[in-house]
Amino acid sequence: MPGRLTTILARIAITVAIFAAWELLSRTGLVNPRLLPSASDTLATLADLLQRSAVRNDLAVTASEVLSAFAVAVPFGCLIGYLIAENRYFADVMKPLLFFAFSIPKSIFLPMFILVFGVGFAEKVGFGFFSTIFIVIMSTTTAVEQVKVDYLTVARSYGATPVQTAFRVYLPSMLPVLLEALRIAMIFNLTGVILAEMYASRDGIGHQIATWGENFQMKQLLAGVVMIAVIAMTFNELIRWVETRCSHWRT
Amino acid sequence: MQPLANVTPFKRAGSIQVQNVGQVFRTSGAEVIALSDVSLDIKPGRFVVLVGPSGCGKSTLLMMLAGLRQQTSGTILINGTPIPAPDPNRVGVVFQEASLFPWLTAEENVEFPLALRGVAKAERRAKAEAMLELVGLEGFGKRHPHELSGGMKQRVSIARGLVQDPPVLLMDEPFAALDEQTRMTMGDELLRIWAATGKTVVFVTHSLTEAVYLADEVAVMSARPGRIVDLLQVQLPRPRTYEMLSGDAFGSLRDRIWRHIRKSA
Repeated sequence: MPGRLTTILARIAITVAIFAAWELLSRTGLVNPRLLPSASDTLATLADLLQRSAVRNDLAVTASEVLSAFAVAVPFGCLIGYLIAENRYFADVMKPLLFFAFSIPKSIFLPMFILVFGVGFAEKVGFGFFSTIFIVIMSTTTAVEQVKVDYLTVARSYGATPVQTAFRVYLPSMLPVLLEALRIAMIFNLTGVILAEMYASRDGIGHQIATWGENFQMKQLLAGVVMIAVIAMTFNELIRWVETRCSHWRT
Repeated sequence: MQPLANVTPFKRAGSIQVQNVGQVFRTSGAEVIALSDVSLDIKPGRFVVLVGPSGCGKSTLLMMLAGLRQQTSGTILINGTPIPAPDPNRVGVVFQEASLFPWLTAEENVEFPLALRGVAKAERRAKAEAMLELVGLEGFGKRHPHELSGGMKQRVSIARGLVQDPPVLLMDEPFAALDEQTRMTMGDELLRIWAATGKTVVFVTHSLTEAVYLADEVAVMSARPGRIVDLLQVQLPRPRTYEMLSGDAFGSLRDRIWRHIRKSA
């Protein structure tokens, strides 16, 4: 059984190997360096881009859109999911419909968002919200359904009101599942907002990436990719960290 | 047995009257008679055990005593008044294993019924500590359920059931998931706690040995439709001891229950 340290070392080794392969492919000319600039060049470009106020501004725009969409979609989705799961009949009616809705690729609705909201903040937040809400609703429904009936009976036998049951039994019991849902919801949300930016937008990092791509600025394009990847992974790990702290009782 | 110095005097035990109670379940058109014409009169401070084959409605009856379920006919009186909804001031309930909230510590679990009433933190903590001491878990308050053994978890459940000092304590197969040795120990512990608090206890089990060992009275129920077919007075002296298990008096009581159950199974 390999130890924890060996596992971590193996992961680092794989990551380093990928970057090394990237560097080598480009430097040796095995892949045209104009199509694949080397890793070191890309990272240098990234450092340079982060100095520019225009890029920082784009990042701030994207961040505000992503967070706005998230801040609306998560509580709203949780509430709907909770109401659906709480009511048996409502759940029976709604669940298949939600599954249908969830199976549709959200991107095909983007042109409609642009027509309704126009190009701008509302369109991007709206589309981010739309991309996120279904997964939040479905995860919440699942989270509610896995709350043990025993716990609810205990709460009832000690005279808990519905609000007390929601906050003292449902919420703590669901928290580990909800945090995981949050993580996945953010992936959908980020995808939605950036897609909206790439498709039609005047600002935001997604817009920048699309522009770099159109202008064949490979270094900038790859730097942008690395930038977003790092931001997404950081958020993901942050939630995972909270997750492990909140679900220590889960064995 | 340990003296209980730190525990405040307990409220008086409660009486239970079950009069001609019936329970009918309606499942997709068909009617299932779960309980039929059940009557039981339990005096304050008695330890009554309900036994019967599985599906005889003994747990259903217990849930009705707790106000968690309503009978379709008849009357249930706890301390002289009906129980249309759960009332923690009159009835405490101890459930089967794994009914503790895993995200709360032992003491937070015990405090839970008080927290629902908005009792101040300090008072809650003090009561929880006294209850944990009563059940023999002093110093374990900060542990989470997954850090406790099965027996310890059920001690916490008992402490939670008693924390509001209800005159009646209902127990639904509380030791069913425990191994044999732990189960015997917990039986003795429960009798000690019962003697210390003087509560009226209604205890559901399917272990005949456990029934006779614990009870003042054993109500034997028949298979569906559940009714009470026999009410045995267990005259064995208290405190009960392990040696009594092999005595003639014990054996004949257990045989009598077994004959009823075999007949209806």
